[in-house]
Amino acid sequence: MKKITLLLALIFSTTIYSQDSCSSPQAITSGLYTVTAIDGTEGVTLMCTGGQNATNAEWFTYTPSNNYAVTVTTDLTINAGGDTRFHVYTGTCGALVCHSGDDDGGSGFLSLASFNVLAGTTYYIVFDNRWESDGFDFQLTEAPYVEPLVSFVSTPIASTGTYRNCVVDMNGDFLDDVVAISETNININFQQASGGFTVQNFTTTNADFLPSWSIAAGDIDDNGYNDLMYGAGSGVTFMKANNDGTGYLETSGPEYVFSQRTNFVDINNDGHLDAFVCHDVGPNQFYLNDGNGNLSHNQGGLGDSPSGGNYASLWTDYDNDGDVDLFISKCNGGGASASARYNQLHQNDGFGNFTDVSVAAGLYDPIQTWSSAWGDFDNDGWMDIFVGASTFVDGAHKLMHNNQDGTFTDITSGSGIDTFTDTGIEHITHDFNNDGYLDIFSAGNKILINNQDLTFTEIDVYFSVGAVGDLNNDGFLDVFNSNGNWYRNEGNSNNWIKINTQGDVNNPSGSNLNGIGARVEVQSALGTQIREVRSGDGFRHMSSLTTHFGLGSDTAITQIKVTWPSGLVDVLVNPAINTTITLAEGATLSVDEFTNKDIIVYPNPSKEEIFVKNHNLTDTKVIIHNMNGQRVFNFKKEKNSINIKNLQTGIYILTLQQGNKLYQHKIIKE
Amino acid sequence: MKNIPTLKLIILYFLTVLLSCSNDESSEYYTPSVSPVNYNLEAFPYNTLSDYNLFEGDLQNQKPVLGVIPYKPISTLFTDYAKKKRFLWMPNNTSANFVSDYEILDLPVGTILVKTFYYNNVLPSNTTRLIETRLLIKKPSGWIFSEYVWNEDQTEAFLDTTGSTVNIEWLEEGVSKSTNYRIPSESECRTCHKIGNVPFPIGVKPQNLNSDYPYPQEGAINQLQKLIIEGYLNPVDYSNVNTVVDWKDLSKPLQLRARSYLDINCAHCHSDDSHCSYRPIRLSFHDTETSEANLGICVVPDEDVNSTLTHVISPGRSERSVLSYRMNSTEESTKMPLIGRNLVDDQAISLINDWIDELTQTCE
Repeated sequence: MKKITLLLALIFSTTIYSQDSCSSPQAITSGLYTVTAIDGTEGVTLMCTGGQNATNAEWFTYTPSNNYAVTVTTDLTINAGGDTRFHVYTGTCGALVCHSGDDDGGSGFLSLASFNVLAGTTYYIVFDNRWESDGFDFQLTEAPYVEPLVSFVSTPIASTGTYRNCVVDMNGDFLDDVVAISETNININFQQASGGFTVQNFTTTNADFLPSWSIAAGDIDDNGYNDLMYGAGSGVTFMKANNDGTGYLETSGPEYVFSQRTNFVDINNDGHLDAFVCHDVGPNQFYLNDGNGNLSHNQGGLGDSPSGGNYASLWTDYDNDGDVDLFISKCNGGGASASARYNQLHQNDGFGNFTDVSVAAGLYDPIQTWSSAWGDFDNDGWMDIFVGASTFVDGAHKLMHNNQDGTFTDITSGSGIDTFTDTGIEHITHDFNNDGYLDIFSAGNKILINNQDLTFTEIDVYFSVGAVGDLNNDGFLDVFNSNGNWYRNEGNSNNWIKINTQGDVNNPSGSNLNGIGARVEVQSALGTQIREVRSGDGFRHMSSLTTHFGLGSDTAITQIKVTWPSGLVDVLVNPAINTTITLAEGATLSVDEFTNKDIIVYPNPSKEEIFVKNHNLTDTKVIIHNMNGQRVFNFKKEKNSINIKNLQTGIYILTLQQGNKLYQHKIIKE
Repeated sequence: MKNIPTLKLIILYFLTVLLSCSNDESSEYYTPSVSPVNYNLEAFPYNTLSDYNLFEGDLQNQKPVLGVIPYKPISTLFTDYAKKKRFLWMPNNTSANFVSDYEILDLPVGTILVKTFYYNNVLPSNTTRLIETRLLIKKPSGWIFSEYVWNEDQTEAFLDTTGSTVNIEWLEEGVSKSTNYRIPSESECRTCHKIGNVPFPIGVKPQNLNSDYPYPQEGAINQLQKLIIEGYLNPVDYSNVNTVVDWKDLSKPLQLRARSYLDINCAHCHSDDSHCSYRPIRLSFHDTETSEANLGICVVPDEDVNSTLTHVISPGRSERSVLSYRMNSTEESTKMPLIGRNLVDDQAISLINDWIDELTQTCE
């Protein structure tokens, strides 16, 4: 009776076992067991619960004969006051994989975890001495197996760096890579087309500022290699990839900013990515791109609370008018006087001029918010919002439905959001179970699975929000978080499609190379789903720039429609499913067909009105860019003419798009 | 002198003039009766520190002129081991009122609070280096932050409210240390120095000043008494002020030392109407007197900083306590205090951990 006594042994009078190591575990079945002390010589180095390694452990194996939902617990009266921790692994010794585990899920510091097991698989259940080496009892119970709504398997990946908060394609092959940052290093696990990763380290200059608060990625110089922005407590650093992706050049702004969320986004709609940074203690700041990847600092006009309180910026077209608007999740101490804690919605007029419409929209909430999740939760073609509370002192989480008229209605009550009580700083939305409806990954290690009717079901996934992408290219979204673990989505039978957007940087009126700001729409039997290409959502992380759609059991897509920041619209009819499509801006459009029709634009130059001969404008999209590539909106389309009296004098590029036909012509406004 | 009625002042003035005129020899004993501080409230803030005439002789010696009174809170804020000299000054014939033990003195318009941050034994030559001098000036509209950054020559400090970073290496008790010392911008000053988004001083509370200070002339006397003598504080009985302890004083009870440390290092944000008021803890000496919840004992954190942390303070388990974890961190997004330090205050960590580990409460 070295250390463990099967309580059953009292009845059956058996058993002497050793459970000192992975190679000499004690096989158990359902029942109650006693560990007399944790002194097994093989400790644990693979953490399934977070935290640090432990020097000693007790090793058990459990091989069920049927599929079960199993509960392992030390939360027993006899253990009151104790402090336990355990891990559940699959795999083989030396190549274990986390399956479950718990530290403090029971009362006090006791542990409790429920997880699914499959018949014939061997599970290692390992109690370690991280907190105490004292003996304790534990119980394993079996309940009927329930198909999980979503499940992940934790997989270590050789990602080394202080800041492990970024999953995005870094080398232009449209496969998500894993990025980790240190003071003088960018560590990238490049995903291989054949599966797995190839690690490469890029030495950098000693970064003035580190991504301690957030990171964003985007290709500011359109060279095919994404650049990075590190958001730190007293400034930002840009690391610009060179033209062959072999190195990064640091630019650190001298400007002080207490960074929170950072983004790359084309703020002034000129086809070039700009950079935005939320300021905790002052008005927000942004850097405008001159078109050659040179960034100039600006402050003012994009959330100017003198005391800041800007925690997360989220760029979304909430009013479906074709430009990106700005929502700022805000948080600010100071009691009743802390006006800077009210969330803000800034409406874009198309020129990069933003108007605060928070009150009119119904989003002027005092909730202490570090981030919010914007997505179309009911597939009606309009972005809704989950407002994520970091504490309930000034209001709880809210689910706001887009009324399609610039306002939102609170539909929290009865949605399952009202009973969700975990608080936190990260709130993001993705379709994790590929059922065609957006879920919400939020606080307390919970994913709120969309029940497809604007209600949600809480699922505990036992890990916190991280950077999201598809790390094995299987069409199911995985998570990489600061534990350095890849939480691989185990998937299901649902169908999917992924779409990469590639802006036309050779066209002066084209979009940025990443297509950031594009609206992607997928139509299938279950309805129409929308996504936006965003650099920087949630609070801290950078997630994939590839748009991902679950299709449920739909086996076909009617069409994919991409509305680019430039205004052009590409439509791809009847594409294949369960694959990734890379769509280049204008790829589905044809200039030739349109020009055959002898369109004449006159008079040119013009002061007030230009007429379009031989073409009816009713079903035609009219897009006008100035010669800087900036899209302008202050004109009015009539039946067969365009009123340009409000345009500033100058030369413009007029684009007419009807279906997949395109016409471009220079016009001069006098 | 300020409480002396005007008539007496006038007589004294004439006497002084008479004496100084009648006897040249005695002029070395002459002391000006009015503080020579260059007081022009509308012109504040000046472009240089010397413009104020707060100090006599070499500016870098920080020898205060008449009316500029040195002081020191009983427990002090940790800022990467920087040493500090603090002074206060009030305009002629103005004085402060006592409000309560734990609130700052009601200081008159024109008050200047001065705090110089410096290091001794700066490498490579073991020199003293003054980094910055912060002035909090009370204008009719409220307090303003005036930040002065010292030049290389240590001859002058210039107004600069944009913030900057200085790398500094020095010997701390014989051990070499270095930090990227942060000189705050105005918005960083405001982050800590505010109540309800209105700028405010932090240290000048009776609870922090009710202790002896070694003044050059009087010797060691109570700081509140000194302010009363100077006419800077209207007479008040301070004998019952609920006073913090010096957290480094090992003879004092652990909890009292911990509460005193948390007050001066954390309470400016963790109080009602302050920067982090939306978090549940309240760490001022006053707020922690009777409430364990205010200290964070058994309080479940709002934010999941690390999965092993169960409570803000987990009694008996410093390793499981967010407070200890954050104090022990140098990572920008987890460290506490949020600004003002890059290094860990090891001595304070020991105190806080010892205190937490002795707590015996059982959390629900």
